[in-house]
Amino acid sequence: MQNSYRTPLGRVRWLGSARSGVEDSWRMRLTALALIPLSVAFVVMLLSLLHRDYNGARAYLGEPLHAVLMLLFVLTGVYHTELGMRSVIVDYLGHHTREWALIANTCAAVALGLACAYAVLRIGFI
Amino acid sequence: MASTGTAEKPRPRPLSPHATIYRVTLTMAMSIAHRITGVGLYIGVALLAWFLLALAGDATTFATFSSFIRSLVGQLLLFGFTWALFHHMLGGVRHALWDAGVGLDHPLRERLAQGTLIGGFGLAIIAWIIGYVVR
Repeated sequence: MQNSYRTPLGRVRWLGSARSGVEDSWRMRLTALALIPLSVAFVVMLLSLLHRDYNGARAYLGEPLHAVLMLLFVLTGVYHTELGMRSVIVDYLGHHTREWALIANTCAAVALGLACAYAVLRIGFI
Repeated sequence: MASTGTAEKPRPRPLSPHATIYRVTLTMAMSIAHRITGVGLYIGVALLAWFLLALAGDATTFATFSSFIRSLVGQLLLFGFTWALFHHMLGGVRHALWDAGVGLDHPLRERLAQGTLIGGFGLAIIAWIIGYVVR
């Protein structure tokens, strides 16, 4: 009957919903909700930065409120983007392409988030 | 399941009909647009990272970014970024309503889809008018 000593639960774990999928779904909605006011704040800042030169833009983003709002938008946005892109990848790609795409997605999201955070902090502190 | 032990080939499994056989509806197109704008916003975040890193650098690195973003391609990318952001945001609100069980019936779901489409462009255009007129 059975060629393996592994339990049915052991074989299906990590292959689909095994009571761990709700976490991502919840975080997707949590970050989405937070991104509504943060995106509005971001667009307001973007339009304010549009006509500023180098020193003006640095002074604007150096203000604590603008820096914190930008950090919140970037980090929440990158988290949300990683989750969204992950669901797109698992829907359309298979086998090794899927695995490499998932690795690239997480790496790119972390790198972008870290780069933005570093830049905002550097503008604020130097 | 496979308890017969013979080496016969398994019968091909029946496949459920996929996107291509359905008539295109507005709600379907908006669902696809939600994904496309989401993926597009990844590029937007990369553009934002370039801007912030250029600004964190010296005046030369900022000038390189500035000349790109002031070009036609740069301005189109920036407008596309704000449009995708608003479109995706309104699409998210629509999905939140659906999660709550609201707006799934026929007349309202069409109105919500139309609202997302018009609202996304509307908000982006209003934002850019404010950005250019009210300095």
